[in-house]
Amino acid sequence: MLTPPFATVLDSMPTLVAVFNAEQLTRMVNSLEQNLLTPIPLCFLLGIICTRIHSGIKIPKEFYLSIAIFLLMSIGFIGGHELAHEYQAHGVSTIWKPALVTLFLGCLTPITSFLVLRYIGGLSIADSAGIAAHYGSTSAVTYAVANSFVEQTQHPANSFLPTLVTILECPGIAIALVLGAALSARERAVAAAKAGRPVKESKLGEALYEVMTGQSIMLMAGLLVIGFVSTIFMPEKGMEPFLEFFKSKGMLFRGALCIFLLEMGLVAGEKLSDLLKVGPFLVAFGILMPLIHGFLGVYLGHMAGLNLGGCTVFGAIVSSASYIAAPPAVRLTLPEANPTLSITAALAITFPFNIAFGIPIYFEMAKWVGAT
Amino acid sequence: MQLYPLKLVTVVGETVIMEDIAKEGLSLGATGYTMSEVIGQGSRSARNVIITGEARTLKVEFVVPMEVAYKILAHVSTTYFEYYACIAWLSDVQVVRGQAYIAG
Repeated sequence: MLTPPFATVLDSMPTLVAVFNAEQLTRMVNSLEQNLLTPIPLCFLLGIICTRIHSGIKIPKEFYLSIAIFLLMSIGFIGGHELAHEYQAHGVSTIWKPALVTLFLGCLTPITSFLVLRYIGGLSIADSAGIAAHYGSTSAVTYAVANSFVEQTQHPANSFLPTLVTILECPGIAIALVLGAALSARERAVAAAKAGRPVKESKLGEALYEVMTGQSIMLMAGLLVIGFVSTIFMPEKGMEPFLEFFKSKGMLFRGALCIFLLEMGLVAGEKLSDLLKVGPFLVAFGILMPLIHGFLGVYLGHMAGLNLGGCTVFGAIVSSASYIAAPPAVRLTLPEANPTLSITAALAITFPFNIAFGIPIYFEMAKWVGAT
Repeated sequence: MQLYPLKLVTVVGETVIMEDIAKEGLSLGATGYTMSEVIGQGSRSARNVIITGEARTLKVEFVVPMEVAYKILAHVSTTYFEYYACIAWLSDVQVVRGQAYIAG
């Protein structure tokens, strides 16, 4: 028996195809143009081109790691600041529904990914669970790019979206890893008995601890709390210099995002050669699964009361795949999973797809479901 | 100056397992280790994605007597070789203050 929102989604599917007329296609093309021909995706494209033509561009590692820290701190701090304003104005009345939907989708997306990979793609349990862990979690950089897009289109997202990014980061990885570890336990025992060695103890607990205390959670959640507390207890005047430094519409944040996307492009360019290794199924999965998850995000986000920008960004974060928190956790827990599959799918397929096409598509989906 | 003939065990592999290998080496009888970051490429290239700073390649070295060296090599090869990007080798070394590397 389907719950009402799902029944509505399934009922409306034929209508979705039918109402997709020429006008909407033109709007979609315009949105794509608005997104593609801006510095952030173009820097990503430049990175890919530089790698493919062996241009020799290298961004110093310590520099882009510092930029990643700055981006995560900014997202957290501004998110905490805006959350405090939202809390002062409406209490928790506007936040609890989106938070609950986020938690629900955080638990659902790894399971749908796992089922599709295992039963349609025919991948092994470990590979399916490993990739599902990446797709169950989220990518903070995709959030930042989607947020920049909606700000450019004059439809800023609800202020508490960074809180949702933090909520979405963990459950997906945890569920996929538990699923993978539990289902592959028998396979492992058989393999160990064949090789005549003892069964290795699972490192699930250690992996989950690493995810919870990893850079993205600690910096984003930590700065979220700092931003929230200081906005409530500090006079507005005192907050100004911090807001100037961290603000997502600011010169520093946008510039840093361009440099980070250039580096992401350089790495994705290298991984493009692995596309042949992963096969057509995973390429299709890396594009279609985010569209399905993105639509669910947009639709349920709208049901939970998010605005047009909010639904777009929410669709983007639900559809995105983690390539920072998930890979080490999967290596620890499911070592038999092939990392080339998950990292290539997350970084060389889904991330570029979302940056170039996904975000404007979620924007149009959000308009279509009636978000304003 | 007296030199002691000992063995140098070198293990190179992906970040997620190297701290464990260092600790396990100590529990198998090594008195210490040296760890460093290295650059390279092997048959499993996935670890070369360095966006996170986590997926690096590390090298851990132990100076140990022969029997400890064999224990470490046997442990590393049975525990990690199957699924992880990892290589280990043994070399002869002549060590000053060699008694410091013999446990007990």
